[in-house]
Amino acid sequence: MTNRASGTHPVPDARIVSTTMAHRIAVQCADSTVTTRLREWLDAGRLEPPRPLELAITVAEPPPLATADDRLAFRQPSVAIHVSGEPRGEIVRIVWDTAPALAVIGERPDSARVTLSPAAVARLEESKRTFLTTVLVFLLRRVGWHHVHAATAIDPGGRGWLFAGNSGAGKSTTAALLATRGWQIGTDDTAFLASGSGGSGGRVAVIGFREALALRPGGVALLDRLGRRGVALRARGKTGYRPEDLGGQWTPRVEPDVLCFTTIGDELTSVSPLGPGDTLAALVRWSAWVILEPALADHHLQLITALARQAKSYRVTLGRDLFEQHLALEELLP
Amino acid sequence: MTIRYSRHPELRLTALAGEGVVLHLGTRRYFTVSESGLVILEALAAPCTKDELVAAVLARYEVDPSRAAASVESFLSRCRDADLLEEHEAP
Repeated sequence: MTNRASGTHPVPDARIVSTTMAHRIAVQCADSTVTTRLREWLDAGRLEPPRPLELAITVAEPPPLATADDRLAFRQPSVAIHVSGEPRGEIVRIVWDTAPALAVIGERPDSARVTLSPAAVARLEESKRTFLTTVLVFLLRRVGWHHVHAATAIDPGGRGWLFAGNSGAGKSTTAALLATRGWQIGTDDTAFLASGSGGSGGRVAVIGFREALALRPGGVALLDRLGRRGVALRARGKTGYRPEDLGGQWTPRVEPDVLCFTTIGDELTSVSPLGPGDTLAALVRWSAWVILEPALADHHLQLITALARQAKSYRVTLGRDLFEQHLALEELLP
Repeated sequence: MTIRYSRHPELRLTALAGEGVVLHLGTRRYFTVSESGLVILEALAAPCTKDELVAAVLARYEVDPSRAAASVESFLSRCRDADLLEEHEAP
């Protein structure tokens, strides 16, 4: 028995709720302040998924996870992901640890049912960066967009680039410095693999969630030297930059020709080509939700494989020399 | 009694230019796989005996049969450890 039978949460009150169905990701919530703030967040992100999606939000204390077959599938900082149902993974429940909040995805097509406690609403900015971004990631999987933790860019010659790596691996600083050299920037962190030009059998595109490039103090110092000033992102302890303010542009989608798996090193910058097996493994690592939800894994894995096929791949250790000499990354590639 | 081996039903396999990655959606682990490992995993899409796996390797590579058998044995052992296999007893 799956946990579909457990969907007995109360039907929302028959009230007028603010809904904006014209958007590709609609927000439905009785609390107009929540709706407005999430609408602003989503509008800024400029995602246009191929089918309309919905965040159906209730402000209330979330129900406990009572389903017997709910399993903790994954835990990331402040967010736990549970899966249940047959085949495994049909229903995803996302729990925010910071303040009570729960999202259920998979009960209704293309919709996430989100319950935010008043304490979670009080921390809405924080929930957007952690909990609600995770909800969005799992919702977008329903339309064939699969999250990859990466920065993306297009160089002045038109080549698409993807930079994947840990937090602190230089993705944001690289994106910001490339913007100062006139590159188009897609994102410095949150991106989605999707079928690109040529349809499902064609190239893979990477869609960026548009946000300010968020730099830590080391990156800020480099931008300061170039006379570029950002905006304090106080809640994150970072400084934000828009590519347009750095001499670049924002681009909604990138079809990568080059994949760079980056780390920061104290030595000189080094670049080494990656073989196909290592490239596939690296993409699985940075697009890790492929390992959940079997019904979606095949398409996700097809995109990963197609991306590995379409692009040249490199392991890149970003040295201080590269940043201090104004990042001519493309000149280092063999 | 003969033992037939097959891939665990929760495995997903992808390959590019002779190198591959196998995902186990049940244990949520993934592994890189060499070219000869891919030959064996592809054969394991249907239940196979050890001898049939050795034959699959010999059909692809010019190697001594005893070396192919050792390679299959070693690969099966590693797959078993990683829960990548199902084993079926057949008369």
